[in-house]
Amino acid sequence: MNVLDFNYMLELVPILLRYLPLTLQMATVGMAVALLLSCLLAVIRVLRVPVLNRITMLFISFFRGTPLLVQLFLFYYGLPQLFSSLTAIDGVTATIMGLTMHFSAYMAESIRAAIVSVDRSQTEAGLSIGMTNAQLMRRIILPQATRIAVPTLMNYFIDMIKASSLAFTLGVTELMGATQKEAAGSFLYFEAFLVVAVIYWIVVELLAWLQRYLENRLNRAYSR
Amino acid sequence: MKTLLLSIIAAASLAISPLTLAQDKEPLRVGMSGQYFPFTFVEKDKLQGFEVDVMNAIGQELGREVVYRTAAFSGLFGMLESGRIDTVANQITITDERQQKYLFTQPYVYDGAQVVVKEGNDSIQGVEDLKGKTVAVNLGSNYEDLLRELPYADEIDIRTYDSNLEQDTALGRVDAFVMDRISASQIIKDKPLPLQLAGPTISSISNAYPFRDTEEGRALRDEVNQAIETLRDNGTLKAISESWFGTDITSP
Repeated sequence: MNVLDFNYMLELVPILLRYLPLTLQMATVGMAVALLLSCLLAVIRVLRVPVLNRITMLFISFFRGTPLLVQLFLFYYGLPQLFSSLTAIDGVTATIMGLTMHFSAYMAESIRAAIVSVDRSQTEAGLSIGMTNAQLMRRIILPQATRIAVPTLMNYFIDMIKASSLAFTLGVTELMGATQKEAAGSFLYFEAFLVVAVIYWIVVELLAWLQRYLENRLNRAYSR
Repeated sequence: MKTLLLSIIAAASLAISPLTLAQDKEPLRVGMSGQYFPFTFVEKDKLQGFEVDVMNAIGQELGREVVYRTAAFSGLFGMLESGRIDTVANQITITDERQQKYLFTQPYVYDGAQVVVKEGNDSIQGVEDLKGKTVAVNLGSNYEDLLRELPYADEIDIRTYDSNLEQDTALGRVDAFVMDRISASQIIKDKPLPLQLAGPTISSISNAYPFRDTEEGRALRDEVNQAIETLRDNGTLKAISESWFGTDITSP
């Protein structure tokens, strides 16, 4: 086995780091929109809103039932064949939209599970003191559901950061795309992929800290 | 040699005053993988290669800015199809199938398809020896078609890759890969992978730029065609080729 080319690895670090902001941008924007969308979907499912519930179920079924890569290709390369105006959507936007819809489908189920996991007696207690449904949701159910949902939602965010590496197939050079190109230019595969692995790892580890902090904050009311 | 040529091109571009160059012409949007050494590759974040030099020269000639967009090879034709780029500069071989769909310029590279194996594997000496073997090709490349058209294609285990097929061959996971002779030779010469050419080239190929089959595409194709003609006549193509390969691959 050849010795690792450490100089090459060191040179690669600042080059690859230039692409990290784009990766994080796609994931954070995707996550922010996905949070809103998935909360909406989850509430529709929990309350069984007529018609919308059916549409939501179809949405979740499709975006959970097909690979993200297929969705991205369908959306970015396929649809413009039918509607040429969609060509105006660039790769970054298409990736964000793809990530948003794909992960919303998963997150909606997680949030729904968190909501229904809040014990029914709590709802009854709330109703018995004359709370409205909205008050009940905002003041009793959602704070508890949030606490339950945080670890799984953070998981999805981590997954989303890594899934954004598919953007290279849509012509977006993000962290993984930049690495692929450097590796294909130098043919030093192990070095290049090791560097990018460590970068992803560090980013995710930072997020894990954030998750621990969030969990502690949210659990404060429940620890004695 | 390469830097000399580049500085000549740079000097020439300065001489033609950038003001008259920019004009109001739309930039030419060119797609490439950036993963095909030495035609289009990235080193230290800089996109470079034979394709880049030729396309820059064409841009000069047309007085158009050239905008490069890199994507995985399997995404390039999708980008062309959906109008996100004007053409692909990634050693695109003219094939009957592609000709039915796209308008091609005249060829600017003449090359051959080549079987490449791991260093020391002398059991494969040509395309006949691929029977019963696993062979890697780039997904959507003409080398895939080339293998599938062989009379004994069903005896070959063809594996399609988006990238890194050279590495998989060097690792011994597949017995061989097929790509163009020039790239293969350059990789063997310049890069640390233990590979060797296996036998002579198996078919000759010509590379050209594909454009969409629309009125706009046709106009653009004709313009680029004219530019290639000029660059061939004034020796620019030959000079770029020699700077990269030490030989002229731009004429048959």
